[in-house]
Amino acid sequence: MADNNKEGRDIQTQISRRRFLSYLSGLFIAGGFLLQGFAALKSLFPRVLYEPPTKFKVGMPSDFPEGVRFLPEHRLFIIRNDDRFHCISAICTHLGCTVNLAQYSPPKEYESHSGTAVSETYEFHCPCHGSKYRENGNVYAGPAPKPLPWYRMYTAPDGQMVVDTNTHVDHDFRLKV
Amino acid sequence: MKEKMKAFIRKLTWTYNPATEREASDATARNFLLHWFPAKVTTKSASISYSLALGIIIMTEFTILTVTGLILMFLYVPSVERAYWSIKDLQFAVSYGWFIRDLHRLAAQLMVATVFLHMVRVFLTGAYKYSEKVVGSYRPLNWWIGLALLLSTMMLSYTGYLLPWDQLALWAITIGDNIALSAPVVGKLVSKLLIGGTIIDQNTLIRWYVAHVFFLPVILFLLIMWHMWRIRKDGGMAGVEALGIERVTQGKVVSKGKTYSLMGIVTGITPTITQYRVRGSSGSSSPYLTRRILAIFILVTAVTMGLTFLVKAPLEQPASLMWTPNPAKAPWYFLWLQELVADTTVRFGSFTISGGFVGGIVIPSLLLLLAVVWPLLDKSPDEAIGVWFHKARRLQNTVFLFICVVIVVLIYVGAVMRGPYWHIYMPWQSWPKMPTRL
Repeated sequence: MADNNKEGRDIQTQISRRRFLSYLSGLFIAGGFLLQGFAALKSLFPRVLYEPPTKFKVGMPSDFPEGVRFLPEHRLFIIRNDDRFHCISAICTHLGCTVNLAQYSPPKEYESHSGTAVSETYEFHCPCHGSKYRENGNVYAGPAPKPLPWYRMYTAPDGQMVVDTNTHVDHDFRLKV
Repeated sequence: MKEKMKAFIRKLTWTYNPATEREASDATARNFLLHWFPAKVTTKSASISYSLALGIIIMTEFTILTVTGLILMFLYVPSVERAYWSIKDLQFAVSYGWFIRDLHRLAAQLMVATVFLHMVRVFLTGAYKYSEKVVGSYRPLNWWIGLALLLSTMMLSYTGYLLPWDQLALWAITIGDNIALSAPVVGKLVSKLLIGGTIIDQNTLIRWYVAHVFFLPVILFLLIMWHMWRIRKDGGMAGVEALGIERVTQGKVVSKGKTYSLMGIVTGITPTITQYRVRGSSGSSSPYLTRRILAIFILVTAVTMGLTFLVKAPLEQPASLMWTPNPAKAPWYFLWLQELVADTTVRFGSFTISGGFVGGIVIPSLLLLLAVVWPLLDKSPDEAIGVWFHKARRLQNTVFLFICVVIVVLIYVGAVMRGPYWHIYMPWQSWPKMPTRL
């Protein structure tokens, strides 16, 4: 009985040279095609992007009037409050449309979550799917899942203000000039 | 000489106008263009009231798209600097450019609509159902190929939408890309592959152009061939199962004048042939089927050409990321998805799932999955195959039609009732004036 088993195993584990070589060549051919496929796919993920920089100068502080100003070429808002600046993205967090600035005069009154009365002079409204954001970029209506991000700002040696869209900052961030 | 000419013309055209039954069956075997048809078709398969000829209409639109598309390739430049202006030239400077462009766009829209209707027809007639009656037949496979064809058609249409590089195009693609981005884990990778970077630019345009003029049409063409071949393997259009097969002759000795494929004849045995045919009336593919196809082809071409004088392809201002048109809308066949992405953001306390993911990925994927598994879940009897609104499938048809109606209603709401800032406006309410430029 044991001998039979041993014999059966021997037959199964023995592979003829022809069979071995055909497996090996099959493996090489498949590997070659896989490598080519990988190369083709990988080439579609660019390693160099010729896109606009994520840090750019937006101008001298004196160029900006009090209140909010839209910079369409950078898709962001610069908000000036006396000598303090902050910057809010104009890209809707839902599906990436450019939000519009809605200004109110007289200021719009609303009740905050804590129940206190707040007034604001502007809001951001998205034309694509109707998301609405408060002055500080928080969503209060529509499908947007996240508030509009605030971008980091700093002053360049020549005195111009720089916006860094790669770095998001908290709502207490202000650039003092 | 005149006789010779006549004989020559006859030699070229006899396959389309056979004189005898014998010639008619020869025609499908000898003519390259006809060889994918069976020699005979049942009256039911050729009946327009059964199939509504939707497949032929789709093929006609696809032919128009291929021909006009090839011409457009000579006139269009896929670069962000020149794409918009080449379309503008096409519209206003190239002789009959507007006609070629309108025809291409209209045929594309009609093709999307007809592919959808074709799917509805196949569902309502239970034509995707598996039956053991026909050897080698597995109709669910052709339903799945059909689903792949539906997706390819929509992708073709969507990739074509970007090419004019106007505001309409840019914002439809921005929304599509952000839907891809909203997918967890793979979102960024897929988006990078689709648009070739982080913003929609030259990389995106050339990718979508190549997909539009080469990859997708080739995929579509291969799928169409497979789709047609499967119909033959399935024994013809659904409904032949109900007709049954009858034996015409049994054990007839092979006649000398005819060629049969005989393998392994043993000496001393006389080869015999048993003939079968499908019960019920049938006719030769040539000319009965070919004439119908020709008539529908001409009619559909004429109607599509005529419609180009009524329906004009829009061209908005050049693409600009600086401002978004208000309202910004997807092409109509994606408006139900846009309506969904606008309504399906879910909030659990501070935890939010974007509507882009729920309405743009989860719901369409579930619908597709449902369509894929449906033929496997359908346990109605064989009698329901190839019958419009069979009573055994009443519940299934109701559920399917309900989903279709919801999609159509969502498209209607998105197309007609959504105004600036995606607010609902009734048809009798006028929209407030919105600035059309920065």
